[in-house]
Amino acid sequence: MRRGHQNIVPMKLVEAFEILREEQPVNARSFRARLVCGFTPLHLETFFNAHLRSIFSDRNVEVTSGLYGDFWGNFERLDTTNTDVALVVLEWSDLDPRLGLRSLGSWAPSTFPEIIGNAKARLSLLTNLAERLSKDIPLVVSFPTLPLLPISFSAGWQASAFDLELRAWISSVALKMVEIRNVKLVNSERLNQLSPAANRLDVKSEIASGFPYKLAHASTVADLMSRLIISAPPKKGIITDLDDTLWNGILGEVGAGNISWDIEHDSQPHGLYQRLLHGLSEAGVLIAAASKNDPQIVGEALEREDLVLPRSALFPVDAHWGPKSESVGRILKTWNIGADSVVFVDDSPMELAEVSANYPDVECILFPKNDPQALVGLLFRLRDLFGKSVLSEEDAIRRESIRSSQKNGAGGVEDHGGNLDEFLAQADAELTLNFSKEPLDPRALELVNKTNQFNLNARRYAEAAWDAYLRQTETFLMVVAYKDKYGPLGKIAVIAGRSLEKTVFVDVWVMSCRAFSRRIEDRCLQELFARFQAEKIVFDFKATPKNGPTGEFLARICGAKPEPQCSLSKEQFLSLQIKTSHHVSEVSNG
Amino acid sequence: MDDTQDRLIRCFSAIFPALSREQIIAADASKMESWDSVASVTLFAMIEEEFGAEIEVQDSVDLLSFRKISEYLNAGNRSSAPGQRAS
Repeated sequence: MRRGHQNIVPMKLVEAFEILREEQPVNARSFRARLVCGFTPLHLETFFNAHLRSIFSDRNVEVTSGLYGDFWGNFERLDTTNTDVALVVLEWSDLDPRLGLRSLGSWAPSTFPEIIGNAKARLSLLTNLAERLSKDIPLVVSFPTLPLLPISFSAGWQASAFDLELRAWISSVALKMVEIRNVKLVNSERLNQLSPAANRLDVKSEIASGFPYKLAHASTVADLMSRLIISAPPKKGIITDLDDTLWNGILGEVGAGNISWDIEHDSQPHGLYQRLLHGLSEAGVLIAAASKNDPQIVGEALEREDLVLPRSALFPVDAHWGPKSESVGRILKTWNIGADSVVFVDDSPMELAEVSANYPDVECILFPKNDPQALVGLLFRLRDLFGKSVLSEEDAIRRESIRSSQKNGAGGVEDHGGNLDEFLAQADAELTLNFSKEPLDPRALELVNKTNQFNLNARRYAEAAWDAYLRQTETFLMVVAYKDKYGPLGKIAVIAGRSLEKTVFVDVWVMSCRAFSRRIEDRCLQELFARFQAEKIVFDFKATPKNGPTGEFLARICGAKPEPQCSLSKEQFLSLQIKTSHHVSEVSNG
Repeated sequence: MDDTQDRLIRCFSAIFPALSREQIIAADASKMESWDSVASVTLFAMIEEEFGAEIEVQDSVDLLSFRKISEYLNAGNRSSAPGQRAS
């Protein structure tokens, strides 16, 4: 994938054509998108093609569309066996032709009930089709984006029952569809920001050629919908400065009692920032503080009960007078995550530059302390960087499990003379294995796509490709959850592969770095040998710049530096006499 | 070579990638199979966007060669801000 979380600027048509002229990769897997719309796909198809090629630069992208004027037929006839994703672009005229410019059907008030009735029936059909087709492939849906024409008898500045009822039906269907797994909807709020409503409809083009979108709007719709196909992995943690960032005021100068973050003290933007951090924290994002300050006075400030971001949400807090990059280094070590998963926010460009020089992969963002308008922009940017489609149980327990492993985990091993076996034996470790493929657990794909260190080959999957892989009858999926007396870690490992004639081929194996040093990986192998009565396990290993821990583990159990398709025999594994003391149970989805 | 011509060549080149610069300058719809109605619609949309121009439907029926389009743009049928999107 080429791009991450950058600003969205409409692509020009000439730029789109220039992208399409670039050679597609030779012998690459194809990526087939089907555009479902009722209007002439024309430039929208071109923009989809260009945006998707930018995202899937390692695939052969193909975008096709159906018949002009037949949205419903195109949707119903969608061939899910030859499509990786459906891009469904609904417009008003697909609900009733009278809602578009190419029909001369009556706008008499007496026709309103019929128009509303048609729209209701077709929206109901849309939900049914989405439910059915999304079982096979992912759907990305855009509800009508063009302005409603002046059909109602009211003046344009007065809300009419006709317009409101149509929009209410759209909202009600959108609410149903957002709950369907494998269906993603374009956020109309974001589209409104990027493509003003008054600049969307191209009347001349609609009448002359049946293409209703202005080019900038077509590009923006295609860009947003393309982003919904495969999202960049969300960042995992924020390291925030304190003075003039988390709160207004310099702690060392004004004291803990005089820092502020509210309207009364003319410092509301800091409170708004705290509120977003709290929301992110509750959604599983790690929040830490890095401050050049006296640790004692920072402790006093964080004891204030009126903080919007409670003290408990911050872990760790690193206050000292050294360079901020030292704090960042310690925090990354505590969190045990890569620098590219972290955002650093500070009001000082100098501090940002110092951190960036030492950790170029950390995304450094300036806190706009004197610019309230820019502050709202920061809130949107952070939300984009940490955005997730769904929240998992693991999101809720991540912070506490890191805190607890700091307090008890590492120290616990030391308390047992550094003896891991002894430590694990007293930890009451429990593994829960889940081999269900239906309904598919979204956490499994999330782990596969974001785990770096313990990852067999760092292969990332789009939802459609993951679904297709698991649909193969010979494919198995094992999702592993872990807990011990120090607390739950949630679902922390995923193994997927195939079992053929007493050999297990492991195609995918990831494990959260929070689960290291618990012999979970060894126990997983024991379970694979036992469940599939296997004599051999073959690993689809590929070394990457980040998966060193996986290579070290395979080297330990296989007795040699791992190579692609390296294998481990049951006899070889048993000869290692690895002690595991986990209690193992099995569950299924549902 | 003026800026208008270069930018117009870029538009033609995007839609007719097989043509050389010289062939583009000589391009004429009546002599090109690939310059069909879809190519025309796309080319005019691209030119409108690139030059901030608004090409009227009645004008477009005559704008069927590189030379005529170039003359049309040079005659002032475009926005003063190059590259601005047509509104």
